[in-house]
Amino acid sequence: MQYNPGWNSSSVNLLHVRAVGPADTLHFIWSSIGAPAVLLVVSGSRNSTLGIDWTRLLSPAPAGAVWIDPPSSVIYSTAVVFTKVFEYSEAKTEELFYPTYDLSDFSWDSVNRTLNHTALTAEFTGIPAADPSGSFSNGSLAFRVTAYEASSRDGPLPSLLHTANSSKVEFVLAGVAPRGNSSRFVLEVATVEETGVAQKLRSTRSIDDEYTPTIFETLSLVAESRNGSSARSFLQWKATAYGSPSPRREDNIQCRSRGLQAANWTLPVSSIVRAYFGEGAGSTYTVSAINISFGGEDGKVYQEKRYLSWSVLLGFGQPPQDTFSPLVISIMAVALGTPLLMLLVGSCALLFTQGKRYSDYEPIN
Amino acid sequence: MGHPFWTKQRSYFCYDNPAALQTQVQRDMKVNTAQFMSLYAWYSWPNVVLCFFGGFLIDRVFGIRLGTIIFSVFVCVGQVIFALGALLNAFWLMDAGRFIFGIGGESLAVAQNTYAVSWFKGKELNLVFGLQLSMARIGSTVNMNIMGWIYSRVQDLLGYAGPSTLGLTLMIGGVTCLFSLGCALILAYLDRRAEKLLHKEQGKTGEVIKLTDVKDFSLSLWLIFVICVCYYAAVFPFIGLGKVFFIEKFRFSSQEASAINSIVYIISAPMSPVFGLLVDKVGKNIIWVLCAVVTTLASHIMLAFTFWNPWIAMCLLGVAYSLLACALWPMVAFVVPEHQLGTAYGFMQSIQNLGLAIIAIAAGMILDTRGYLFLEVFFCACVCLSLIAVVMLYFVNHFTGGDLNWSAKKREKLQKVAATEAEEQERLRRQNEDDLAKLQPKPDGFSLRNKYLSKLGAQLPDNYSSCLSTMVHRSVLK
Repeated sequence: MQYNPGWNSSSVNLLHVRAVGPADTLHFIWSSIGAPAVLLVVSGSRNSTLGIDWTRLLSPAPAGAVWIDPPSSVIYSTAVVFTKVFEYSEAKTEELFYPTYDLSDFSWDSVNRTLNHTALTAEFTGIPAADPSGSFSNGSLAFRVTAYEASSRDGPLPSLLHTANSSKVEFVLAGVAPRGNSSRFVLEVATVEETGVAQKLRSTRSIDDEYTPTIFETLSLVAESRNGSSARSFLQWKATAYGSPSPRREDNIQCRSRGLQAANWTLPVSSIVRAYFGEGAGSTYTVSAINISFGGEDGKVYQEKRYLSWSVLLGFGQPPQDTFSPLVISIMAVALGTPLLMLLVGSCALLFTQGKRYSDYEPIN
Repeated sequence: MGHPFWTKQRSYFCYDNPAALQTQVQRDMKVNTAQFMSLYAWYSWPNVVLCFFGGFLIDRVFGIRLGTIIFSVFVCVGQVIFALGALLNAFWLMDAGRFIFGIGGESLAVAQNTYAVSWFKGKELNLVFGLQLSMARIGSTVNMNIMGWIYSRVQDLLGYAGPSTLGLTLMIGGVTCLFSLGCALILAYLDRRAEKLLHKEQGKTGEVIKLTDVKDFSLSLWLIFVICVCYYAAVFPFIGLGKVFFIEKFRFSSQEASAINSIVYIISAPMSPVFGLLVDKVGKNIIWVLCAVVTTLASHIMLAFTFWNPWIAMCLLGVAYSLLACALWPMVAFVVPEHQLGTAYGFMQSIQNLGLAIIAIAAGMILDTRGYLFLEVFFCACVCLSLIAVVMLYFVNHFTGGDLNWSAKKREKLQKVAATEAEEQERLRRQNEDDLAKLQPKPDGFSLRNKYLSKLGAQLPDNYSSCLSTMVHRSVLK
């Protein structure tokens, strides 16, 4: 993990995570310059490096300020931008929207202090530069980033299964005062893809909710290339958010995703994305956006706890699939097998003794 | 004559109040699932001990009339304290309310049955018991479907959802317990009138509990206990937690989830008398129990591992539940001598309540930590344990020549043979007694004189000689 490589000031944040595999390298570039975004570049060479032209990056025209050396080794690249947070409250029949929080107008704390090289985590915390309603006076919005070295499962809920090809980003709203009595929040997530790659939202309902109790649905936003159908990158999350820093089942907040649409309007104001992809919106890349809404039937959980945390996994390749734990399988095997075994043994004993009985006794009459 | 039914319906209405309002209770009182299930556990704890004493209290201490009134008062007070706990936002008070409610609830059922036996003797009794059970089940069903609606009306009235909303809803539900108390009072008055006018005795349960009899229980009886505990542990806690399961996994709306949760009771209301008749006519109880347990296992597996329409699985569960109740409880009467029957039934209910209390809390904890799939697997394991006990019971019964699995015809035939044998033995016994009486010296003056004179050697006519008659009878004596 590298923080602001080649730049000494900590007024801007750029985190570069490099995952080196047997045959390729994954570069995760997290940044809060402009709207918070992550750039994922997959390079076919194990020795690829990131090059940044800082002066150009921080200028109003950052195109070409970020590149991977050697440029020919890049297999695939994509970006995910978190653009806006909406807040609305639902009256009887209509929805009342409060002024949007535009994430590109936020000022961010330095990530250097939150960098943890052993746990491979970092936190981007920010508050709006202008806060007329004072809702952020005691609170903040944060993106917690975790990088993974191996396949395993997260400890705390929602216990996402991850591989070494993925990283987790957690969207956290802490202490932000809601502006209505039953406010709900919506996070807008935009993805930038190369042409020839389409985004699909898939909802998988599984019978297994062992790792996230009572949540049966997993959503994946999968980028597939149009000619083949192999997944190139994915965003995966469980259909739930949690209302507590150490979440338990009863803290869960309903989470719904809707409205995946192509958004060919102006590119999200993220310097990283512009720097890497250039300015050709619509021609060299496509933009799609999706809204993730949080809040149950009455939005009460956030009201009391003032904490919201939503985890999403970003990675390269196929999204990981959950399987049954060995405990479940072994219990079912023993539970179903024992009576069957007993029935078999008992029937054999029955047949055996019936045969025997006829030979031991003679009929009396 | 509908009064005995109405008292039972009202108290069953309140038993499943928690299940109907699980989401609301957990949200308003801020408790996790294990604490929520403690509401059921506290209902069962007093009945672990009270099952033994219910009959005794009704027969010897209170009498049926006073007993019913006292238990109804307990039910009302318990429900009021339960609702009060919600109003005051004190969960421990809700637990206490359920405890008091439990003291009254199960003993009220015993009193119910005693009234029925006292008023409807003979053939009508089966019908009466069946109708009683149906009424109770209808009460549970109505509760499941109405309480959620009452809660949303109260919420609209108050404008917010919180402990007071929950408390008010439970108070409204508790009003039905007042009806129960009213019916108990009317019933007592009618029974006293009947006693005066018809010279009818006060009903008695007739139960005799001797705990030392427990050591005499046969292996078959213990296996029946295991079947009972493991089976009901996989049904009642499941219904208690079922509503949220159907909402989350199968995406049902709240009303639909309540409806499907109550289908087990709705089905058992008409099917109990039908199955009762069937098992009585056909016999072969163990086979019916086996069918019921296997069906329940299939139903739980369907709910756990597939997304198939849960109405199918729940209907199967309802059918299996009614069948098991009709086939299992009579088996106790076949393996236990009549004077131990009270103890056996009391013991069975006691450990059933113990099992329910423990498993209810365990189920809540499993749900919080591991989710619904694991919970269903746990219930499947319980049913499998029950299945193992049934299989063992079948073989034990077969190899020891027991009579649990006889068909009804065979049982009737053997009963007839046993009856004629008993008659024959009785006749012989009476004859022997008569013979012995004739041989005894008669303590009157005439025979004494005869004996004295014969000892002296005086000649007596033959018909006055006592030793001649002895010799006549000697060949008959064995």
